Amino acid sequence: MSAALLKASGLTVRFGGVTALDGLELSVNVGETLGLIGPNGSGKTTFFNALTGIVRVATGRAYLDGGDITGLAPRRVAAQGIARTFQRLRLLLELSVFDNLMLGQHLSLDHGMWINLFARHRLRGEVRRQADSARALLGAFSAALPARLYDSAGSLTMIDRRRVEICRALIREPKLLLLDEPSAGMTPDETAELMSDLLAVKAQRPRLSVIIIEHDMAVIERVSDRCAVLDYGRKLAEGSYAEVARDPIVRQAYLGED
Amino acid sequence: MARLGGQRVRNRKASTRQEVIVVDPGYLAQHLFNGLMLGVIYALVAVGFTLFFGVLDVIMFSHGDVVMLGAFTALATWIGLTDAGAASPSLLLFAMLVASIGLMALLGALTARILVLPLRQAPPMNVLLITLMTGTVLRESVRLFYPQGSNPKPFPRLLPTGAMEFGQFTLRFDSAILLVVGVAAIVSVHLALSRTRLGLAIRAVAQDSETASAMGIPFTATVLATFAIGSALAALAGLVNGLYYSEVSFNLGLLLGVIGFSAAVIGGLGNVYGAILGGFLFAALQTVGAVALPLASAYKDVFAFTVVIILMAIRPAGLLAERSAERV
Amino acid sequence: MKYSAVPALTAVLASAAVVLTILLVDNQWAVAGVVAGAAAILLLSSRFGWGVRIAASGAAHPIVVPAVVLAAVVVIVFVLREDNFALLMLCTVMLYAVAGLGLTVQFGQAGVVNFAGAAFFGIGAYATAVLSTKSSLPHYLVLPLAGACAAVIGSVLLLPLLRTRGHYAALITIAFGILFKTFLEVNDALGGPQGLKVPGFTMFGHAFNDPIVIDEQTEWSFYMAYAGLSFVLVAAAYAFVRRLERSWIGLAFDAVRLDETAASAFGVNVAAWKIVAFSVGNFLIGTAGAAYAMMTGFVAPTSFTFADSLILVSIVILGGLGNPLGLVPAALIVIILPEKLQVIQEYRFLLFALLVIVILLVRPGGLLPRAAREYFPDQSR
Repeated sequence: MSAALLKASGLTVRFGGVTALDGLELSVNVGETLGLIGPNGSGKTTFFNALTGIVRVATGRAYLDGGDITGLAPRRVAAQGIARTFQRLRLLLELSVFDNLMLGQHLSLDHGMWINLFARHRLRGEVRRQADSARALLGAFSAALPARLYDSAGSLTMIDRRRVEICRALIREPKLLLLDEPSAGMTPDETAELMSDLLAVKAQRPRLSVIIIEHDMAVIERVSDRCAVLDYGRKLAEGSYAEVARDPIVRQAYLGED
Repeated sequence: MARLGGQRVRNRKASTRQEVIVVDPGYLAQHLFNGLMLGVIYALVAVGFTLFFGVLDVIMFSHGDVVMLGAFTALATWIGLTDAGAASPSLLLFAMLVASIGLMALLGALTARILVLPLRQAPPMNVLLITLMTGTVLRESVRLFYPQGSNPKPFPRLLPTGAMEFGQFTLRFDSAILLVVGVAAIVSVHLALSRTRLGLAIRAVAQDSETASAMGIPFTATVLATFAIGSALAALAGLVNGLYYSEVSFNLGLLLGVIGFSAAVIGGLGNVYGAILGGFLFAALQTVGAVALPLASAYKDVFAFTVVIILMAIRPAGLLAERSAERV
Repeated sequence: MKYSAVPALTAVLASAAVVLTILLVDNQWAVAGVVAGAAAILLLSSRFGWGVRIAASGAAHPIVVPAVVLAAVVVIVFVLREDNFALLMLCTVMLYAVAGLGLTVQFGQAGVVNFAGAAFFGIGAYATAVLSTKSSLPHYLVLPLAGACAAVIGSVLLLPLLRTRGHYAALITIAFGILFKTFLEVNDALGGPQGLKVPGFTMFGHAFNDPIVIDEQTEWSFYMAYAGLSFVLVAAAYAFVRRLERSWIGLAFDAVRLDETAASAFGVNVAAWKIVAFSVGNFLIGTAGAAYAMMTGFVAPTSFTFADSLILVSIVILGGLGNPLGLVPAALIVIILPEKLQVIQEYRFLLFALLVIVILLVRPGGLLPRAAREYFPDQSR
């Protein structure tokens, strides 16, 4: 029985008159992949935003590894070991792939004046080291990407951009990875490939926990250990994919069936 | 420059030097009236700013200079007509009104079409810079191409002269008329926005242009109409400004534009009532600064802008703003 | 086999020739022709990718190329040794380039908007006036101190600036610029509308304002000394800004500029980096203003209007936002052209405004668009 890495209890988020999260209870164990599904507007991305400090939490608490992360500013949440991708891909398209990955590495980089402005030979070594580890990570997702390390992110295909965004989130070895609809805009083949790579990477990082928001049920079925279904900001059901898919309440809410 | 955006106080009474400083109610009333007048002008300008921001997320830094250009258009119209022999003040006023409002509305729509709409996808800073430069172009064009453009020009007095005395306070008829006209214009804007179909279209586009288009509201036409209306208001503000101070100058738009922008920001960009409130608030700040500060009233602008900066530190989105949630 | 030095050297020598020609020639049409030709070449160069080759060439020879630049500047200054006005313009261009470098750090790198550049230039100038007359600090300390004053005074804007974005932030700096100028005009302690006199720069006993006497017949312009000072400042500022850009710090700035949300999601302290960029930039701008004041000998509020701030912004946009190298040709165009082409003197604000509008509509990247970051351009990938 692995320990709970993330525990959210009573999480409530309000936007003006709309209650986006309504007393949400959710937890994720170490090394587990939790699939988060639900109709549009059910609060999935809002949950990510609440965890990462982008939106204000009205009531409720969230704990990471026992520490209270409720209400922390995004950069502090990042420092605690949570990394994410965004529903609407948020790469810095003007910059190179390498620069984008280095944004993910930000908290581990040395920003001192000395090394950056004067002791340039040391910076040179740093850059080289980081480039090597960046290539290694990219290589796990695509054989062609490492060669494109210095190409601009804007010159990549959609699927390559998603790969880069995931690598950006992984590069600092987070405890918890939040993936927001990683398969959006991809063909089934591309999606399958991405998921294979993701599973392979996860196999090498047994203590990495993942929460993945998806609308593609095939993906959820394949990668998640457990599922949680949200509707109107509340958890509707929880369990394995098979259990959740059979649940009549879930089918009613999500698929509109009887 | 500081003079034209600021107050010219009429019938100012010097307070007598005594041990107890007696505040002359007439003096105060004069300042109050001036403040109201300024507030109306600022509100007219601020409403334009906020409308433009609402529909296109753009800050038209050239807006203040449109006010100036409206005043100059009116002046040129007057000069042209009087040279041709026209003499009736009401006819002249009417012609000036029509000319400045019409031409500025056209200019506003044109600017939107050529300079702003094409840059919708560009970084917002580019649009900001373009509107700043447009303002410079308008300002410099008047300075260079209007005869003796660098000198302030006298503006004709066309409203009924005469005044009423209330103790120490002199209420001039022309000022009262201008105040009424200004307020009426503001009220009309409110009514137009809330009661007409165009107003509805503008509000819809301001709130969510994609959905508005999906609902069949013509985006470009609405935007152009918004810019025309905002610029028409600017022209009116220019005309009122000219009639009140009996003078116009090529750089009157610069300070006025910044003030109008500040007013719109204080009230919360996108909120028309906020803009009106902001206009009067800024005028109040200037008035308080002029009355309360023992030193030169020139400091009133320093005072007012300092308060604006402080306000923005405390309430960055404005006083009446709604928070918009960013989608991630 | 290293990349040839020829492209970079050609660029340096061609630029030097253009600068010298523009400064020496009196005929307006000739000057206009040379400028048009140079601008055309610049535009062509990005079309044909010459810029990339020149940059690679320059990167491959980090000693030779800057040495040639230094030599070229020395030659230019020497050729102009008796021409006060030309040297004054040259110095002005270099100092405005320093201010432009400050704006580049703020706006081009970190995305912090600053429409009060002229005000910070002015703070540096006034600080120098006060420090050099009221204290006995050596002038080479007064300059950076004046820059520090600009940075410190600028920090009062930080709280509102940090809490606002885009347009609102622009408004704050505009309001400050107006506030500053009005304050100076009304405040007699700082000279009021007439301003203050500023003593000339003196270092190690040599007063820069003294003409340089060679022998009985020859006397060289004292502006030569200021040219030396300006060159030192612009070279140092350029190296500093370049290194800043090509480092982890530059990357942090980029993240702040391009996407604050994504940046903070990965731990970037957006507020802190904005503060750094804004302050560093103001320091550069203030230092430039200080040197300029010492060179011209006086400081007055009329030099630091909003229009002047817009001129500074125009230089940065024209040169290519984010590309420090573009500042020099841009500054040349904006500052020297109106002086040389008397025809357009009166019209310069109008023309530059139109120019910026055209650029923003047609070629937002400016003369030399921003290049992709290479931390160590001479390093093979």
